[in-house]
Amino acid sequence: MDFVVNLLPHLANGVSLGLLFALIALGFMLIVGVMETINLAHGSLFALGMYVALFVMAPKLALFPAVEAWYASLPLAGRYAVALALAPVFVGAFGMLLELCMRRTYGRDPLYGLLLTFGAALVIEELIRLVWGSGERQLALPESISGAFAIGDLVYARYRLFASGFALAMIVLLWLFLEKTPYGAIIKAGAHDSEMVRALGINLSRLRLFVFALGVALAAIAGVVMAPIWGIRPHVGVDAVVPAFLIIVLGGVGSLWGAVIAGLMVGMVVGLTGAYASEWSLLSMYLLFIAIVTWRARGLFGKKSVLDA
Amino acid sequence: MNEIDDAAEREQPNVQRRRVLKASALAVATAGAYAVAPFYGPWRHNHVWSQTAQKKPLVIGLTMDASGQYAASGMDERLGAMLAIKEMNAKGGVLGRTIEAIHIDTETTPATGSRVAERLITRNEAAFLIGALHSGVANAISQVAQKYGVIYLNSNSSSPTESGKDCHRVKFVWDGNGTNFALAIVKNAMTVNGKNWVMLTNDYVWGHNTAKAMRTIVEANGGKIVEEMLVPQNTRDFSSYLLKIQQLKPNVVAAAVGGDDIKALRQQVVQLKMNKSPAWINNQQDWPDVYGLGPEAIFGVFGTNWYYRLDLPGVKEFVAAYQSTYPGVQIRVPGNTYYNGYMATRELLRAVERAGTTNNIRVIKELENLKVPARERMQDFDAYMNPATHQMQQTIYMATYNDTPAEKDDIFKILSKLPPKEVEDPEAPAACKLESYESTPTYEM
Repeated sequence: MDFVVNLLPHLANGVSLGLLFALIALGFMLIVGVMETINLAHGSLFALGMYVALFVMAPKLALFPAVEAWYASLPLAGRYAVALALAPVFVGAFGMLLELCMRRTYGRDPLYGLLLTFGAALVIEELIRLVWGSGERQLALPESISGAFAIGDLVYARYRLFASGFALAMIVLLWLFLEKTPYGAIIKAGAHDSEMVRALGINLSRLRLFVFALGVALAAIAGVVMAPIWGIRPHVGVDAVVPAFLIIVLGGVGSLWGAVIAGLMVGMVVGLTGAYASEWSLLSMYLLFIAIVTWRARGLFGKKSVLDA
Repeated sequence: MNEIDDAAEREQPNVQRRRVLKASALAVATAGAYAVAPFYGPWRHNHVWSQTAQKKPLVIGLTMDASGQYAASGMDERLGAMLAIKEMNAKGGVLGRTIEAIHIDTETTPATGSRVAERLITRNEAAFLIGALHSGVANAISQVAQKYGVIYLNSNSSSPTESGKDCHRVKFVWDGNGTNFALAIVKNAMTVNGKNWVMLTNDYVWGHNTAKAMRTIVEANGGKIVEEMLVPQNTRDFSSYLLKIQQLKPNVVAAAVGGDDIKALRQQVVQLKMNKSPAWINNQQDWPDVYGLGPEAIFGVFGTNWYYRLDLPGVKEFVAAYQSTYPGVQIRVPGNTYYNGYMATRELLRAVERAGTTNNIRVIKELENLKVPARERMQDFDAYMNPATHQMQQTIYMATYNDTPAEKDDIFKILSKLPPKEVEDPEAPAACKLESYESTPTYEM
C-alpha cells in the first residue's frame, strides 16, 4: 500500500511531463504531417521563442525610454500574457521567411529540406548568441503562477500545474482548429492529398506558408512555457528537437493524438525511471521508442503504407 | 635556295637559344613558385622559419568546450588562458617566441576531446595543450597527450581520478577535486545539518568519483547515504528526483551535478521552495553555473578555489584586467574557471621560461617542483604541485549565498578557508602511477 501511495505522485508527475513533451512536439508534428518536411530548426525556433518572450517582458528600448519605463511599470502578469501572445507571432513570422527559403526544396530529395533546416538551426542559434549572448537567462514569473503548494506531505510547483494545464489547452485548441474549422479541414486535406487540394483551387503555397508558420508558432509557445523550467540558453533547443522527433515518430507521423499519446508515454517513462531507476531516465524514452517501433514500425497511430497487407 | 637554306641555318641557333631561354625561365619560375608557395598558399601552416629571422611561434592548443553541458565555463576558462597569453606576449613572448593559441571546441564529449587533441598535436604542431572541464574529456585528451609526450594542463576538471588512477606524466591538474572539496565541506555539514544524506550524482566520471569521496567521509563520520540518484548528463527535468527527495526526507542533499544540469536543478528546487530544507551541499560550484541565476537559486553550501572579492593582494587588479580586456562579456566579474584557465597558462609559460626550452621532460620537471606563494596565487595559502600526483594543492574555500552583498555580483559569502594540507586527497598518491620519464616520448616544438 505504501508503495502505491508513494507511486501516485510520480504517476501524476509523469502525466504533467507528458503534456509538456506533447506541447513541444505539436508544432513539429504539424509541419511533418502536412508538409512532409522534417524541420530540424524546430529546437532553435523553440529557443528563439524563449528569447523573444524575454525581450517582450522587459524590452530595452533605448530610443523610447519613456515607453520602456511605462511598460516596465505594468504588472508582471500582464507582461507575461503579452509575451505568451506575441512571441509566437514574431517567431511565426520568422518561420514564414524560413518557409520561403525552403520552397526550392519541395518536390526534390528530402535531404535538401533536412539540410536547409539544419543549417537554419545553426544560424538561428548563432544569431541568438550574437544578440543575447551565451549566458544563462531567467524568465520572471508572475506571483500567481509561481511558488509551490502542498498536497499532503509533498510540495508541487504551481508553475508546473499551470504549464501542464496550458499544454492541455493548446492541444485541445489545435484539435478544435483542425477538426472544427474550414481552415483545419483544408490543412488536413492538404496533408492527405496536396494535388487534389491544388486542383480544387486552393493556393498550396499559401497553405504551406500558413502551416509552417503555425508549426513554428507552436514551437515558440512551447519555448515560452518551458523557459522557467529548463532555463534559457542559446543551445536549449537541442533538448527540445530530439524528444520532439522521437515523439512524432513514436506516435505516428501526422497524427495529433498519436503525438499526444506518445508524449504522455514518454513523460511517464521518464518520470517513473527518474524516481526509481534514475540512471535510465534519459535513456528510457529511447528504449520505449525502440520497443514500440520494433513492434509497430509506423508508430502508434501512423498511416498504413500501401505496401502493408 | 642556298640563300634560304643559309638563312634557315643561321636562324637555328636563335631558335635554340630562345628555347633554352624559355626553358630556363620556366625552370626559374617553377623554383621560385615552389619557394614562395609555402608562404602564400592554403598550406601556409607549413612555413619554414628562418633561424636568423623571426622565431617560430609557440603554439598552445586550447582544448576547451564551446558547446554542450560545460559551454559557459569552457568559454570562461578560455578567456583566462587568452589573457595569460596576451600578458606574456606583451613581455616578448616565451623564449623570444610569440605565443599563438589555437582553440577547438571539445563539445563536452570525450571522443571529440581525443580528436581535437590528436589534430592539435599532429596538424597544428601544438607545443602544449590546456583546458577541460568535463573529466571524461580531460581523461581522453590526456591519453592522446601522453602518447605523443605533449604536456597537457587540465585546467578545470575535478574528478579525483584525474590525479589518481588516470594521472599521466604529461598531465597537470590545476583545480581542486571532488575529494578536496568534500574534505572541506562534508564533516561540517554533518555536524550542522544531520546524518541522513541523499546524493544526486551526475552520471559520469567526475560525478561518480566525487560522490564516492563524499560517501567515504559521510560513512566514516557515522552518517548514512539513504539513496544515491544518478543524474544522466543533459538532464533538464528534475521533478521526479525532487519528488523522491521529498519522500525520503533526508537531512542533507549532496549534489555532484555541474554545468547546465546544475542550473536547471537549482531553478527547479527554488520553484518547489526546497532551497531552505533539506540542507544542500554542492561539492564544487563553478561561477558561470550560478552567475545570473538570482539570489534564491544560489542556495546551500558549496566549494570553490577562488572568489573575485577575496581581500588579498592582486585580486582587484586581476578583476580590473578582466573587465578592461573583456568589456562586453555577460559575466561581469571573473570566477574560478577563468582563474584556473589563467593560472594554468601563466604557470606553464613561466615554467618554460625557467626551463629555457620547450623540451617536455625539462618542463615537466619544472612543473613538478612548482611552488607558488599565496600572494601570486591570490589565495590565502601557498600552493604547490604534488610531484606524485601532478595536482596543484591549494586553498579551498567553503561558501554560501551572500545575503548582504557589497555590490550586485557579490553573490558568495566565504564561510571558511582551508590550507592545502588539510584537504589533500590521501588516496591519490597510491592510486596514481605516473609513467616514467624514459617511457614518455620526447616532444619539443
